[in-house]
Parts: sequence; structure tokens; C-alpha cells
Amino acid sequence: MSIDGTIIWLTWRQLFARRRLYLAAAFALTPLLLAFVFRVLIPDSDAASGEFLTGLVRDFVIGTLLPLAAVIFGTTAFGGEVDDGTLVYLLVKPLPRWRVVVWKYVVAVLSTAAVMIPAVLLPWLVVRTPELPFRIPLSYLAGVGVGCLVYCAIFVALGLTTRRSLVFGLLYIVAIEMVLSRTIIGTKSLSVREFAISVAQWSGNGAVTLSPTPVSLPTVWIMGPVILIGAIVFTLWKLQRFEVAERL
Amino acid sequence: MTHHVELRRASRWYGNVVAVNDVSCALGPGITGVLGPNGAGKTTVLHMIAGLLHPSAGEVLIDGEPSAGRSEIYRKVALVPEREAVHPFLTGCEFARMSARLHRLPDPDAAAARAIALVDLEEAQHRRIGTYSKGMRQRIKIAGAFVHDPSIVLLDEPFNGMDPRQRLHMMDVLRREAAEGRVVVISSHILEELADLADNVLVMVAGRLAASGHYREIRRLMTDRPHTFRIRSSDDRRLAATLLSDVSVFGVELTDSGIVVRTAERRALTQHLPRAARSAQIRLLEIHPTDESLESVFSYLVEG
Repeated sequence: MSIDGTIIWLTWRQLFARRRLYLAAAFALTPLLLAFVFRVLIPDSDAASGEFLTGLVRDFVIGTLLPLAAVIFGTTAFGGEVDDGTLVYLLVKPLPRWRVVVWKYVVAVLSTAAVMIPAVLLPWLVVRTPELPFRIPLSYLAGVGVGCLVYCAIFVALGLTTRRSLVFGLLYIVAIEMVLSRTIIGTKSLSVREFAISVAQWSGNGAVTLSPTPVSLPTVWIMGPVILIGAIVFTLWKLQRFEVAERL
Repeated sequence: MTHHVELRRASRWYGNVVAVNDVSCALGPGITGVLGPNGAGKTTVLHMIAGLLHPSAGEVLIDGEPSAGRSEIYRKVALVPEREAVHPFLTGCEFARMSARLHRLPDPDAAAARAIALVDLEEAQHRRIGTYSKGMRQRIKIAGAFVHDPSIVLLDEPFNGMDPRQRLHMMDVLRREAAEGRVVVISSHILEELADLADNVLVMVAGRLAASGHYREIRRLMTDRPHTFRIRSSDDRRLAATLLSDVSVFGVELTDSGIVVRTAERRALTQHLPRAARSAQIRLLEIHPTDESLESVFSYLVEG
């Protein structure tokens, strides 16, 4: 498949238009700021840095920033254009609609990842000790990568489905990720945050231990692709039968 | 090759609302105007031709093939949508280039430059579209549509927001493009916009094709219809009697708030009324045409 550079370029411009650029910078740099605060305020910060980094990445980066970045970039990939009617300029081109879905999804994933990579690496650089080798942030990044892939698939689909995609996306994050998956054991296997944590622990090969124990790896390998492919197929189907009504 | 568009008993409804009802017509090279009040179904017809809406019943064909669900038709079809929105963060030039690239044209930059020159927007081409006036936005949309030299061009209310000079320029452009054998379809809710422009006019009212024909024919149908005026005067009863003697008047009704006069010829009445009032020494206090709304003009066509 050839690369549709123009769709990528347009989506990129859309995602980082106006205030979203500042928001992206804030997401990327807040963990760094917290790491500095930790370094300055905690007297024996070296000894506690492992615990600090684990807590920071697990609860703040993977638990909060990752779904927020994904909901913003994922829902904007289509949502903005459906809202203002500019999607029609892509639809009246001799280009199969599935390509629009694929490239918009790819851009949403890459944009979310671009924000999340510094959010993981920069605090590690500040608090790192010999006990915290590079393998540790690397395994967190593997988890973040899985999270980006699944979250963006969900939120891109949401962006094409409803005009209030951002609101529903945030509700989803609060309801499924923050409340249900932490209180009802069964819903853990639907939580993308749990998938990301589980993959981070697995790829750390013993170097990263996160408690409480996240969902088992087989659950991730089954439920992850089911949600990912399900959401992408749904988006493809949705755009294929998308009709430009007189009053959108 | 001569291109053509055909609607065969095409209907489209959204839930319980019928937007387009059983419309049949064939459009060939030249300019066709689709005229009708807001909500008449003009945009739905254009979107069906553009393949963005499936007809709920009937067929919409481009060169004999159904238009909906086939992205390859956009090699020859272009649409200028009514909605004003164009990506505000792009410059005019970037927007035209983007269109050219999405069409995979061999030299997108040259095609974009040509399209921008066509709509006379060279000076503002490096400004962000977000800073454009309504008329400029319309023109950059038209540039984006013409970038790949389409043979069927659908323009939904293209003159909205343009000043008279831009409007004349754009009319010239469209006439020229149509003279080269393109099928150009323009929707409008203003009959005068289509004067000297559309060879063929389709009038739509409430989703139906109410009339079709040459602009002059439609114009005659619209102006020769009966008109109703509400008149208040110093002596309504006497004025009513006087007016009934005029052959152009075919009905007078006395009401509490004056008289309602129905005439077949608006011009004749407006000339006769002041003279008749003066000779009968009646003072005219108020003359008010009661049926000048677009909807009433168009609904007359449907009833006729």
C-alpha cells in the first residue's frame, strides 16, 4: 500500500492546530516537572526513585495522560471534520474511503505516541539511578505503545460515530478505566490501561513489577486485538456508509 | 465524450422526512440551474448526483452508472458544497494543492496555481483560509473543485457571500467552463442569479420538481402569477368598488384591517391604483403585498 502523504499531512495539521499543540506539550512535559519536584523535595530521592517512577508511570502516565492524549487525538482525527463539514473534501476524491480511515488512525497513534514518549523518558532521565536501567522506561514504552494502538482505535471510531465524541470519550475513561476496572475484577479484561500495564510488566522481563497484578497476558493478547480490530472494522464500516446529510 | 447526469424517479428521505420526491430529469453539457426555496431538496439532489447520498428509491446515474458509493467518479465529478467551512488552518494555496494531490495529478503545484488564477485569488493565496471573507472562501472552494479539470461540476449556492464584482467574474468563469462541454449544475434560491447563466432551470418545491425549462419561461411563469395586496385607505368600501371596475382586478375582499385585492397583473394594478384613488378622492394609507415570500411564489408554481 502506498503512503497517502496528503491525508497524513492534513490530519497532522488538524491534530496540532491551535491550542492542541500547547496541550500536547503540557502532556509531554508534566511528568518531567513532577520528577524535578520529587528530586528537589525528597531528601533521599535516590532510594525512593524506583517506587516514584513506577507510581508516576503506572497511575499518571499510563492511567491518566495516555487515555487523555488518545481521546484528544483519536476523536479529533475525524470528529473535527464531521463537525464542521470539511470531511466532504476528502470524500469527493478518487480515493477509497478505507485509506482515509487507515491513515487517520496511523496519525492518531503516532501523535499520541509522540506525546507519550517524552512523558515516560524525561522523568526517568531525572530520577535514574544504577538500579533503574534503560530497560525499565523501555518496557513502560512497550506498554504505552499497546495502549496507544487500542485507545486510538476506540476513539477514532467514536469520533466518527458521535458529535459529542470528546465527552463520551472522557466518560468512557472515567467509567471504564478509572472506576469499573478498579472496583469490579471482571471488567479489568476490558481495560486498556490494564493491557498497557500488563505488557509493560511482561516486556520488563522481571525488571518491572507492578502491583496490584494486572490482567494476565493471554487476556491481553485476546482482548487487545478483539477491541482493536473491532473498533477499526467498525470505523471502516461507518465511513463506508457515511452520508453527507443536508444538515449534518 | 459527452458527459451526462440522469435522475430516474429518484427519491430520498431521512426517517419520516421526504427531502426529494420522485424527481426525474436528464442534464447534459451546459449550465443547469436548480432553483427553489431553502429546504426544497436542492442540496439533497446535488449530494445524490455527487454520490454522497444513496437515493432511497429510484436511480441517480452519471454517464449511465450509479453515482453513489464509487470513489472513481470523482475523477470527473466535482462538488462545491454549500457549507462555508474550509480547513481554516490551511492557506488557500495549501488547500488547492491538497485537492490536486488527493487527485494524484502529475503536477499538483501547477494545477493548484491554475485553479487559483481561475478564481482570481492569487493575492490572498498564502493567507490562512480562517482569515478569508465569505466570498473568498466560496472562491477557494471553487478553485479546489476545478483543480482536476472535472467534466461534471456541482455547485451548491456558489454565489452566497460574493460581492457583485466577484459574482460577475464567477459567472463568466462558469459560462466559459460550460462552453467547453462541461455539465455545470448550480443550485440557487434566487431566480435572478440564474439569468443569463443557466440554459435550463429546474424548479424544486418541497422535494418535488415543480417546473423545468428555459430561464425566460420560468421567469414568465413566476411573474404572471396572481398577486395579492392588502390596502388601507380613507374609504375602503368606495375604493373596493372603484378597483372592481379595473379588468386586471379579479377579486376584492373587505376586511376589518382594509381591503384585500387580487390581481392577475401586478404592474397594471400598481399603475391604476393611485389614479383611481385620486379621481375618487380617496386617500391611500397603506399598500402591502401579502404574497411576496419565495415560498408563495414557488408554491404557486406547484399549484399551477
